[in-house]
Amino acid sequence: MFKVNEIKELIRALDNSSVAELEIKGENKEKLTIRKQGAVGQAVVQPVAEEASVPDAAPPTAQEAPAVESTTKSEGKEETKAPAPADDDSIVEITSPMVGTFYRAPAPDADPYVKVGDKVEEDTVVCIVEAMKLMNELEAEVSGEIVEILVENEELVEYGQPLFRVKQA
Amino acid sequence: MRGKLLQLLSQSKDRFLSGQQISDMLHISRTAVWKHIEELRKNGYEIEAVPRKGYRLRYMPNLASTDEIKSKLQTKAIGRHIVYKKEVTSTQDIAHQLVQEGAEEGTIVIADKQTKGKGRLGRPWHSMEEKGLWFSIILRPDIPPQVAPQLTLLTAVAVQEGLERATDLPVEIKWPNDILLRGKKIAGILTEMHSELDRIQAIVVGIGLNVNQQKTDFPEELSAVATSLSMEANGKVFQRSDVIVSVLEKYEHWYYKYLDQGFFPIKKRWEQLATTIGKEITAKTMRKEVQGIAEGITDEGVLLIRKKDGTLESVYSADID
Repeated sequence: MFKVNEIKELIRALDNSSVAELEIKGENKEKLTIRKQGAVGQAVVQPVAEEASVPDAAPPTAQEAPAVESTTKSEGKEETKAPAPADDDSIVEITSPMVGTFYRAPAPDADPYVKVGDKVEEDTVVCIVEAMKLMNELEAEVSGEIVEILVENEELVEYGQPLFRVKQA
Repeated sequence: MRGKLLQLLSQSKDRFLSGQQISDMLHISRTAVWKHIEELRKNGYEIEAVPRKGYRLRYMPNLASTDEIKSKLQTKAIGRHIVYKKEVTSTQDIAHQLVQEGAEEGTIVIADKQTKGKGRLGRPWHSMEEKGLWFSIILRPDIPPQVAPQLTLLTAVAVQEGLERATDLPVEIKWPNDILLRGKKIAGILTEMHSELDRIQAIVVGIGLNVNQQKTDFPEELSAVATSLSMEANGKVFQRSDVIVSVLEKYEHWYYKYLDQGFFPIKKRWEQLATTIGKEITAKTMRKEVQGIAEGITDEGVLLIRKKDGTLESVYSADID
Protein backbone atom coordinates (compact mmCIF):
# COMPACT_ATOMS: atom_id res chain seq x y z
CA MET A 1 0.00 0.00 0.00
CA PHE A 2 0.98 3.58 -0.45
CA LYS A 3 1.86 5.46 2.67
CA VAL A 4 -0.21 8.49 3.55
CA ASN A 5 2.87 10.67 3.44
CA GLU A 6 3.72 9.44 -0.02
CA ILE A 7 0.24 10.25 -1.23
CA LYS A 8 0.37 13.68 0.36
CA GLU A 9 3.63 14.38 -1.37
CA LEU A 10 2.21 13.28 -4.70
CA ILE A 11 -0.84 15.48 -4.26
CA ARG A 12 1.35 18.46 -3.45
CA ALA A 13 3.50 17.76 -6.47
CA LEU A 14 0.42 17.50 -8.64
CA ASP A 15 -1.00 20.71 -7.28
CA ASN A 16 2.12 22.63 -8.12
CA SER A 17 2.13 21.35 -11.67
CA SER A 18 0.03 21.83 -14.74
CA VAL A 19 -0.71 18.13 -14.80
CA ALA A 20 -4.31 17.09 -14.36
CA GLU A 21 -4.06 13.42 -13.53
CA LEU A 22 -1.47 11.07 -12.09
CA GLU A 23 -1.74 7.32 -12.05
CA ILE A 24 0.87 5.10 -10.45
CA LYS A 25 1.15 1.51 -9.46
CA GLY A 26 2.68 0.20 -6.26
CA GLU A 27 4.65 -2.90 -5.41
CA ASN A 28 1.62 -5.08 -4.90
CA LYS A 29 0.06 -3.82 -8.07
CA GLU A 30 -2.27 -1.53 -6.19
CA LYS A 31 -3.07 1.42 -8.35
CA LEU A 32 -3.33 5.00 -7.24
CA THR A 33 -4.99 7.65 -9.34
CA ILE A 34 -4.94 11.28 -8.37
CA ARG A 35 -7.08 13.51 -10.52
CA LYS A 36 -7.33 17.24 -10.31
CA GLN A 37 -10.73 18.72 -10.94
CA GLY A 38 -11.37 22.24 -12.04
CA ALA A 39 -8.74 24.95 -12.08
CA VAL A 40 -5.20 24.63 -10.85
CA GLY A 41 -5.07 25.43 -7.22
CA GLN A 42 -4.08 24.50 -3.72
CA ALA A 43 -4.91 20.96 -2.75
CA VAL A 44 -6.81 20.14 0.33
CA VAL A 45 -4.85 17.25 1.67
CA GLN A 46 -7.16 14.43 2.32
CA PRO A 47 -6.12 11.40 4.35
CA VAL A 48 -6.77 8.44 2.17
CA ALA A 49 -8.56 5.31 3.16
CA GLU A 50 -8.19 2.00 1.40
CA GLU A 51 -11.23 2.46 -0.70
CA ALA A 52 -11.95 5.19 -3.10
CA SER A 53 -12.90 8.29 -1.25
CA VAL A 54 -14.20 11.63 -2.26
CA PRO A 55 -14.05 14.67 0.00
CA ASP A 56 -17.20 14.77 2.13
CA ALA A 57 -17.74 18.37 1.50
CA ALA A 58 -16.10 20.42 -1.14
CA PRO A 59 -14.26 23.42 0.20
CA PRO A 60 -16.26 26.57 -0.27
CA THR A 61 -14.09 27.82 -3.05
CA ALA A 62 -14.06 27.52 -6.76
CA GLN A 63 -11.01 25.40 -6.45
CA GLU A 64 -11.71 21.78 -5.95
CA ALA A 65 -9.53 19.29 -4.22
CA PRO A 66 -7.99 16.41 -6.13
CA ALA A 67 -10.08 13.31 -5.92
CA VAL A 68 -8.07 10.33 -4.83
CA GLU A 69 -8.88 6.83 -5.86
CA SER A 70 -6.96 3.86 -4.70
CA THR A 71 -7.73 0.55 -6.32
CA THR A 72 -6.04 -2.79 -6.26
CA LYS A 73 -5.68 -4.51 -9.54
CA SER A 74 -4.30 -7.99 -9.83
CA GLU A 75 -4.69 -8.43 -13.53
CA GLY A 76 -4.96 -6.47 -16.67
CA LYS A 77 -2.75 -4.15 -18.53
CA GLU A 78 -0.53 -1.93 -16.54
CA GLU A 79 -1.02 1.73 -17.19
CA THR A 80 2.39 3.27 -17.37
CA LYS A 81 1.75 6.53 -19.09
CA ALA A 82 1.43 9.15 -16.46
CA PRO A 83 2.88 12.59 -16.63
CA ALA A 84 5.03 13.58 -13.69
CA PRO A 85 5.82 16.98 -12.30
CA ALA A 86 7.71 18.56 -15.16
CA ASP A 87 9.88 21.19 -13.53
CA ASP A 88 11.51 19.15 -10.83
CA ASP A 89 15.31 19.26 -11.00
CA SER A 90 15.71 15.96 -9.22
CA ILE A 91 13.86 14.09 -11.97
CA VAL A 92 16.05 12.74 -14.76
CA GLU A 93 15.08 10.81 -17.85
CA ILE A 94 16.61 7.63 -19.17
CA THR A 95 16.55 7.86 -22.95
CA SER A 96 16.99 5.30 -25.70
CA PRO A 97 20.39 5.24 -27.43
CA MET A 98 18.88 3.76 -30.58
CA VAL A 99 15.74 3.04 -32.57
CA GLY A 100 14.27 -0.31 -31.66
CA THR A 101 11.81 -2.39 -29.71
CA PHE A 102 11.52 -1.71 -25.98
CA TYR A 103 11.39 -4.72 -23.66
CA ARG A 104 10.72 -4.37 -19.95
CA ALA A 105 11.78 -7.92 -19.12
CA PRO A 106 14.54 -10.30 -20.23
CA ALA A 107 11.94 -12.82 -21.46
CA PRO A 108 8.20 -12.66 -22.18
CA ASP A 109 7.35 -14.67 -19.06
CA ALA A 110 9.91 -13.04 -16.78
CA ASP A 111 9.43 -10.26 -14.24
CA PRO A 112 10.16 -6.77 -15.50
CA TYR A 113 13.64 -5.41 -14.82
CA VAL A 114 12.15 -2.48 -12.88
CA LYS A 115 8.78 -1.21 -11.71
CA VAL A 116 7.59 2.21 -10.61
CA GLY A 117 8.86 2.73 -7.09
CA ASP A 118 11.95 0.56 -7.53
CA LYS A 119 15.28 1.92 -6.37
CA VAL A 120 17.98 1.79 -9.04
CA GLU A 121 21.74 2.23 -9.03
CA GLU A 122 23.87 3.48 -11.93
CA ASP A 123 24.48 -0.06 -13.13
CA THR A 124 20.96 -1.44 -12.64
CA VAL A 125 19.61 -2.84 -15.91
CA VAL A 126 16.26 -1.16 -16.57
CA CYS A 127 15.24 -2.54 -19.97
CA ILE A 128 16.32 -3.91 -23.32
CA VAL A 129 16.10 -2.04 -26.61
CA GLU A 130 16.39 -4.36 -29.59
CA ALA A 131 16.95 -3.71 -33.28
CA MET A 132 17.98 -6.19 -35.97
CA LYS A 133 18.35 -8.72 -33.14
CA LEU A 134 20.98 -6.69 -31.33
CA MET A 135 19.97 -6.63 -27.68
CA ASN A 136 20.98 -3.49 -25.82
CA GLU A 137 20.61 -3.81 -22.06
CA LEU A 138 20.27 -0.27 -20.77
CA GLU A 139 21.59 0.67 -17.38
CA ALA A 140 20.01 3.44 -15.33
CA GLU A 141 23.20 5.54 -15.23
CA VAL A 142 21.71 7.41 -12.27
CA SER A 143 20.78 6.26 -8.82
CA GLY A 144 17.36 6.98 -7.49
CA GLU A 145 13.82 5.80 -7.76
CA ILE A 146 11.85 4.96 -10.89
CA VAL A 147 8.86 7.31 -10.81
CA GLU A 148 7.51 6.73 -14.28
CA ILE A 149 7.74 4.29 -17.15
CA LEU A 150 6.97 6.25 -20.29
CA VAL A 151 6.62 3.51 -22.90
CA GLU A 152 4.83 0.22 -23.08
CA ASN A 153 6.42 -3.17 -23.42
CA GLU A 154 7.31 -4.07 -27.02
CA GLU A 155 6.70 -0.53 -28.27
CA LEU A 156 8.97 0.84 -31.00
CA VAL A 157 11.07 3.67 -29.55
CA GLU A 158 13.03 6.39 -31.28
CA TYR A 159 16.62 7.49 -30.78
CA GLY A 160 16.73 9.79 -27.76
CA GLN A 161 13.16 9.01 -26.69
CA PRO A 162 12.64 9.20 -22.91
CA LEU A 163 11.88 5.74 -21.49
CA PHE A 164 11.91 6.24 -17.73
CA ARG A 165 11.80 9.10 -15.26
CA VAL A 166 14.01 8.67 -12.23
CA LYS A 167 13.92 10.73 -9.06
CA GLN A 168 17.56 11.10 -8.18
CA ALA A 169 18.67 10.02 -4.73
CA MET B 1 53.48 -21.85 -27.45
CA ARG B 2 51.64 -25.17 -27.45
CA GLY B 3 49.59 -23.85 -30.36
CA LYS B 4 52.81 -23.33 -32.35
CA LEU B 5 54.11 -26.76 -31.35
CA LEU B 6 50.88 -28.35 -32.49
CA GLN B 7 51.14 -26.43 -35.74
CA LEU B 8 54.66 -27.81 -36.35
CA LEU B 9 53.60 -31.35 -35.57
CA SER B 10 50.51 -31.28 -37.73
CA GLN B 11 52.33 -29.62 -40.62
CA SER B 12 55.07 -32.26 -40.66
CA LYS B 13 52.35 -34.92 -40.96
CA ASP B 14 53.98 -38.40 -41.08
CA ARG B 15 57.55 -37.17 -40.74
CA PHE B 16 59.28 -37.17 -37.38
CA LEU B 17 60.46 -33.91 -35.84
CA SER B 18 63.37 -34.20 -33.45
CA GLY B 19 63.28 -32.56 -30.05
CA GLN B 20 66.27 -30.46 -31.11
CA GLN B 21 64.51 -29.22 -34.28
CA ILE B 22 61.45 -28.24 -32.32
CA SER B 23 63.51 -26.57 -29.63
CA ASP B 24 65.40 -24.54 -32.28
CA MET B 25 62.24 -23.49 -34.09
CA LEU B 26 60.34 -22.44 -31.00
CA HIS B 27 63.34 -21.12 -29.07
CA ILE B 28 62.58 -23.19 -26.02
CA SER B 29 64.59 -25.86 -24.19
CA ARG B 30 64.20 -29.55 -25.01
CA THR B 31 62.79 -30.05 -21.53
CA ALA B 32 60.13 -27.47 -22.30
CA VAL B 33 59.35 -29.26 -25.57
CA TRP B 34 58.87 -32.49 -23.65
CA LYS B 35 56.58 -30.80 -21.11
CA HIS B 36 54.38 -29.33 -23.84
CA ILE B 37 54.20 -32.73 -25.59
CA GLU B 38 53.04 -34.27 -22.32
CA GLU B 39 50.38 -31.59 -21.95
CA LEU B 40 49.08 -32.23 -25.47
CA ARG B 41 48.94 -35.96 -24.74
CA LYS B 42 46.84 -35.27 -21.68
CA ASN B 43 44.36 -33.45 -23.90
CA GLY B 44 43.93 -36.46 -26.13
CA TYR B 45 46.58 -35.96 -28.82
CA GLU B 46 48.44 -39.16 -29.62
CA ILE B 47 52.07 -38.25 -30.14
CA GLU B 48 54.56 -40.94 -30.93
CA ALA B 49 58.08 -40.49 -29.52
CA VAL B 50 60.89 -42.60 -31.02
CA PRO B 51 64.49 -42.33 -29.78
CA ARG B 52 66.82 -40.63 -32.28
CA LYS B 53 63.89 -39.83 -34.57
CA GLY B 54 61.77 -37.54 -32.52
CA TYR B 55 58.05 -36.86 -32.32
CA ARG B 56 55.21 -37.55 -34.69
CA LEU B 57 51.51 -36.72 -34.38
CA ARG B 58 49.41 -39.85 -34.79
CA TYR B 59 45.93 -38.70 -33.85
CA MET B 60 44.21 -35.39 -33.25
CA PRO B 61 41.09 -35.31 -31.09
CA ASN B 62 38.30 -33.16 -32.51
CA LEU B 63 38.90 -30.29 -30.14
CA ALA B 64 38.28 -26.59 -30.34
CA SER B 65 40.70 -25.75 -27.54
CA THR B 66 43.02 -22.77 -27.27
CA ASP B 67 46.03 -24.80 -28.49
CA GLU B 68 44.13 -26.26 -31.39
CA ILE B 69 42.69 -22.93 -32.54
CA LYS B 70 45.99 -21.09 -32.10
CA SER B 71 47.78 -23.71 -34.17
CA LYS B 72 45.65 -22.66 -37.15
CA LEU B 73 44.36 -19.13 -36.68
CA GLN B 74 45.85 -16.39 -38.88
CA THR B 75 44.15 -13.30 -37.44
CA LYS B 76 45.55 -10.17 -35.84
CA ALA B 77 42.82 -9.30 -33.36
CA ILE B 78 39.82 -11.62 -33.42
CA GLY B 79 40.83 -14.61 -31.32
CA ARG B 80 44.04 -12.99 -30.10
CA HIS B 81 42.98 -14.02 -26.60
CA ILE B 82 41.13 -17.28 -26.24
CA VAL B 83 39.39 -18.39 -23.09
CA TYR B 84 38.54 -22.07 -23.42
CA LYS B 85 36.34 -23.96 -20.94
CA LYS B 86 35.07 -27.50 -20.96
CA GLU B 87 31.66 -26.59 -19.57
CA VAL B 88 29.96 -23.27 -18.84
CA THR B 89 26.43 -22.02 -18.27
CA SER B 90 26.79 -19.87 -21.38
CA THR B 91 29.83 -18.38 -23.07
CA GLN B 92 27.89 -15.08 -23.07
CA ASP B 93 27.90 -15.09 -19.25
CA ILE B 94 31.68 -15.54 -19.12
CA ALA B 95 32.24 -12.94 -21.85
CA HIS B 96 30.09 -10.32 -20.06
CA GLN B 97 32.12 -10.95 -16.92
CA LEU B 98 35.36 -10.48 -18.89
CA VAL B 99 33.98 -7.24 -20.35
CA GLN B 100 33.52 -5.90 -16.82
CA GLU B 101 37.11 -6.89 -16.07
CA GLY B 102 38.30 -4.92 -19.09
CA ALA B 103 38.86 -7.71 -21.63
CA GLU B 104 40.34 -6.55 -24.91
CA GLU B 105 38.59 -6.42 -28.24
CA GLY B 106 38.87 -9.71 -30.08
CA THR B 107 38.86 -11.87 -26.95
CA ILE B 108 36.87 -15.03 -27.56
CA VAL B 109 35.29 -17.40 -25.07
CA ILE B 110 34.68 -20.94 -26.22
CA ALA B 111 33.23 -23.95 -24.43
CA ASP B 112 32.70 -27.61 -25.29
CA LYS B 113 29.32 -27.63 -23.58
CA GLN B 114 26.84 -25.05 -22.38
CA THR B 115 24.41 -26.01 -19.66
CA LYS B 116 22.28 -22.89 -20.19
CA GLY B 117 22.85 -21.91 -23.77
CA LYS B 118 20.59 -18.98 -24.56
CA GLY B 119 19.02 -17.20 -27.46
CA ARG B 120 17.16 -13.91 -27.66
CA LEU B 121 14.55 -13.02 -25.04
CA GLY B 122 15.30 -15.97 -22.83
CA ARG B 123 14.84 -18.61 -25.51
CA PRO B 124 17.00 -21.66 -24.83
CA TRP B 125 19.70 -22.75 -27.28
CA HIS B 126 20.49 -26.45 -27.25
CA SER B 127 24.25 -26.71 -26.82
CA MET B 128 24.92 -29.66 -24.56
CA GLU B 129 26.91 -31.51 -27.19
CA GLU B 130 30.65 -31.36 -27.65
CA LYS B 131 29.87 -31.74 -31.32
CA GLY B 132 29.03 -28.12 -31.91
CA LEU B 133 30.91 -24.86 -31.50
CA TRP B 134 29.71 -22.47 -28.81
CA PHE B 135 31.61 -19.22 -28.54
CA SER B 136 31.41 -15.48 -27.89
CA ILE B 137 33.44 -12.65 -29.39
CA ILE B 138 34.08 -9.44 -27.46
CA LEU B 139 34.14 -6.25 -29.57
CA ARG B 140 34.70 -2.67 -28.53
CA PRO B 141 33.98 -0.66 -31.69
CA ASP B 142 34.26 3.11 -31.63
CA ILE B 143 30.91 3.69 -33.37
CA PRO B 144 27.69 5.32 -32.16
CA PRO B 145 25.31 2.86 -30.43
CA GLN B 146 22.50 3.63 -32.89
CA VAL B 147 24.40 2.07 -35.82
CA ALA B 148 25.52 -1.01 -33.85
CA PRO B 149 22.62 -3.20 -35.09
CA GLN B 150 24.48 -3.26 -38.43
CA LEU B 151 26.91 -5.63 -36.73
CA THR B 152 24.30 -8.39 -36.64
CA LEU B 153 24.18 -8.35 -40.45
CA LEU B 154 27.98 -8.29 -40.49
CA THR B 155 28.04 -11.38 -38.26
CA ALA B 156 25.68 -13.14 -40.65
CA VAL B 157 27.98 -12.41 -43.59
CA ALA B 158 31.07 -13.61 -41.71
CA VAL B 159 29.41 -16.81 -40.48
CA GLN B 160 27.94 -17.57 -43.92
CA GLU B 161 31.30 -17.12 -45.65
CA GLY B 162 33.23 -18.91 -42.92
CA LEU B 163 30.94 -21.96 -43.03
CA GLU B 164 30.76 -22.08 -46.79
CA ARG B 165 34.56 -21.93 -47.06
CA ALA B 166 35.02 -24.69 -44.48
CA THR B 167 32.34 -27.03 -45.82
CA ASP B 168 31.32 -26.11 -49.39
CA LEU B 169 27.71 -26.33 -48.28
CA PRO B 170 25.06 -23.87 -49.59
CA VAL B 171 24.64 -21.69 -46.48
CA GLU B 172 21.86 -19.06 -46.59
CA ILE B 173 21.10 -15.90 -44.63
CA LYS B 174 17.60 -14.90 -43.54
CA TRP B 175 17.05 -11.34 -42.27
CA PRO B 176 18.77 -10.14 -40.26
CA ASN B 177 21.12 -12.89 -39.10
CA ASP B 178 19.53 -16.32 -39.25
CA ILE B 179 21.87 -18.87 -40.79
CA LEU B 180 20.23 -21.76 -42.59
CA LEU B 181 21.18 -24.85 -44.54
CA ARG B 182 18.50 -26.15 -46.87
CA GLY B 183 15.92 -24.25 -44.89
CA LYS B 184 16.96 -25.54 -41.45
CA LYS B 185 18.75 -23.71 -38.68
CA ILE B 186 22.47 -24.37 -38.58
CA ALA B 187 23.59 -21.51 -36.34
CA GLY B 188 22.30 -19.17 -33.71
CA ILE B 189 23.58 -15.65 -33.15
CA LEU B 190 22.92 -13.57 -30.05
CA THR B 191 24.36 -10.06 -30.03
CA GLU B 192 24.31 -8.17 -26.75
CA MET B 193 25.51 -4.62 -26.24
CA HIS B 194 26.54 -2.55 -23.25
CA SER B 195 26.22 1.09 -24.12
CA GLU B 196 25.70 4.56 -22.83
CA LEU B 197 23.68 7.06 -24.85
CA ASP B 198 26.58 7.99 -27.12
CA ARG B 199 29.25 5.39 -26.48
CA ILE B 200 29.54 1.62 -26.74
CA GLN B 201 31.31 -0.09 -23.87
CA ALA B 202 31.30 -3.49 -25.49
CA ILE B 203 29.39 -5.79 -27.77
CA VAL B 204 29.35 -9.52 -27.10
CA VAL B 205 28.53 -11.62 -30.15
CA GLY B 206 27.47 -15.14 -29.20
CA ILE B 207 27.61 -17.73 -31.97
CA GLY B 208 26.40 -21.30 -31.78
CA LEU B 209 27.19 -23.62 -34.69
CA ASN B 210 25.80 -27.10 -35.17
CA VAL B 211 28.80 -28.94 -36.58
CA ASN B 212 28.94 -32.71 -36.06
CA GLN B 213 25.61 -33.50 -34.41
CA GLN B 214 23.58 -36.30 -35.89
CA LYS B 215 19.80 -36.47 -35.95
CA THR B 216 19.62 -38.31 -32.63
CA ASP B 217 21.70 -35.62 -30.89
CA PHE B 218 18.87 -33.09 -31.22
CA PRO B 219 15.88 -33.14 -28.93
CA GLU B 220 12.80 -34.27 -30.81
CA GLU B 221 11.19 -30.83 -30.93
CA LEU B 222 14.24 -29.43 -32.73
CA SER B 223 14.81 -32.14 -35.32
CA ALA B 224 12.32 -30.60 -37.76
CA VAL B 225 13.89 -27.14 -37.64
CA ALA B 226 17.56 -27.71 -36.83
CA THR B 227 20.35 -29.43 -38.69
CA SER B 228 24.14 -29.72 -38.58
CA LEU B 229 26.92 -29.29 -41.10
CA SER B 230 27.64 -33.00 -40.84
CA MET B 231 24.04 -34.05 -41.43
CA GLU B 232 23.92 -31.94 -44.58
CA ALA B 233 27.25 -33.38 -45.79
CA ASN B 234 26.22 -37.06 -45.66
CA GLY B 235 27.63 -37.62 -42.19
CA LYS B 236 31.10 -36.25 -42.87
CA VAL B 237 32.80 -35.27 -39.59
CA PHE B 238 34.34 -31.81 -39.64
CA GLN B 239 37.34 -30.81 -37.54
CA ARG B 240 35.72 -28.26 -35.23
CA SER B 241 38.81 -26.11 -35.02
CA ASP B 242 38.89 -25.75 -38.82
CA VAL B 243 35.31 -24.50 -38.78
CA ILE B 244 35.79 -21.91 -36.03
CA VAL B 245 39.07 -20.71 -37.50
CA SER B 246 37.38 -20.18 -40.85
CA VAL B 247 34.57 -18.18 -39.22
CA LEU B 248 36.94 -16.09 -37.07
CA GLU B 249 39.10 -15.21 -40.07
CA LYS B 250 36.07 -14.09 -42.05
CA TYR B 251 34.87 -12.17 -39.01
CA GLU B 252 38.11 -10.27 -38.78
CA HIS B 253 38.05 -9.51 -42.50
CA TRP B 254 34.53 -8.05 -42.46
CA TYR B 255 34.79 -6.33 -39.07
CA TYR B 256 37.84 -4.28 -39.99
CA LYS B 257 36.42 -3.53 -43.41
CA TYR B 258 33.34 -2.19 -41.61
CA LEU B 259 35.34 -0.01 -39.21
CA ASP B 260 37.32 1.28 -42.16
CA GLN B 261 34.68 1.72 -44.87
CA GLY B 262 31.38 1.66 -43.05
CA PHE B 263 28.29 -0.44 -43.68
CA PHE B 264 28.11 -0.15 -47.46
CA PRO B 265 30.38 -3.12 -48.38
CA ILE B 266 28.65 -5.26 -45.74
CA LYS B 267 25.21 -4.32 -47.05
CA LYS B 268 26.20 -5.21 -50.62
CA ARG B 269 27.57 -8.62 -49.60
CA TRP B 270 24.62 -9.31 -47.29
CA GLU B 271 22.20 -8.62 -50.15
CA GLN B 272 24.04 -11.13 -52.33
CA LEU B 273 23.86 -13.84 -49.68
CA ALA B 274 20.40 -13.27 -48.17
CA THR B 275 17.52 -15.32 -49.46
CA THR B 276 14.92 -13.05 -47.84
CA ILE B 277 14.98 -10.25 -50.38
CA GLY B 278 12.47 -10.34 -53.23
CA LYS B 279 10.35 -12.98 -51.56
CA GLU B 280 6.84 -12.93 -50.18
CA ILE B 281 7.35 -13.05 -46.44
CA THR B 282 5.58 -12.70 -43.13
CA ALA B 283 7.37 -10.73 -40.44
CA LYS B 284 6.06 -11.67 -37.02
CA THR B 285 6.64 -9.01 -34.44
CA MET B 286 5.51 -9.25 -30.85
CA ARG B 287 2.40 -7.26 -31.61
CA LYS B 288 1.48 -7.94 -35.21
CA GLU B 289 2.26 -9.64 -38.47
CA VAL B 290 3.40 -7.80 -41.56
CA GLN B 291 2.92 -9.53 -44.90
CA GLY B 292 4.38 -8.53 -48.20
CA ILE B 293 7.41 -8.62 -50.46
CA ALA B 294 10.78 -8.07 -48.80
CA GLU B 295 12.02 -5.18 -50.88
CA GLY B 296 15.46 -4.70 -49.37
CA ILE B 297 17.29 -3.27 -46.40
CA THR B 298 18.06 0.31 -45.55
CA ASP B 299 21.49 1.74 -44.87
CA GLU B 300 20.86 0.85 -41.24
CA GLY B 301 19.96 -2.77 -41.96
CA VAL B 302 16.24 -2.25 -41.39
CA LEU B 303 14.04 -4.59 -43.44
CA LEU B 304 11.63 -2.93 -45.88
CA ILE B 305 8.43 -4.79 -46.66
CA ARG B 306 6.13 -3.69 -49.50
CA LYS B 307 2.64 -4.51 -48.34
CA LYS B 308 -0.30 -5.46 -50.55
CA ASP B 309 -1.73 -1.95 -50.28
CA GLY B 310 1.50 -0.64 -51.75
CA THR B 311 2.84 1.00 -48.61
CA LEU B 312 6.32 0.32 -47.32
CA GLU B 313 6.83 -0.84 -43.75
CA SER B 314 10.14 -0.67 -41.88
CA VAL B 315 10.78 -3.67 -39.68
CA TYR B 316 13.27 -3.41 -36.81
CA SER B 317 12.39 -6.53 -34.85
CA ALA B 318 10.66 -9.62 -36.16
CA ASP B 319 10.91 -13.30 -36.93
CA ILE B 320 10.63 -13.96 -40.64
CA ASP B 321 8.63 -16.79 -42.18
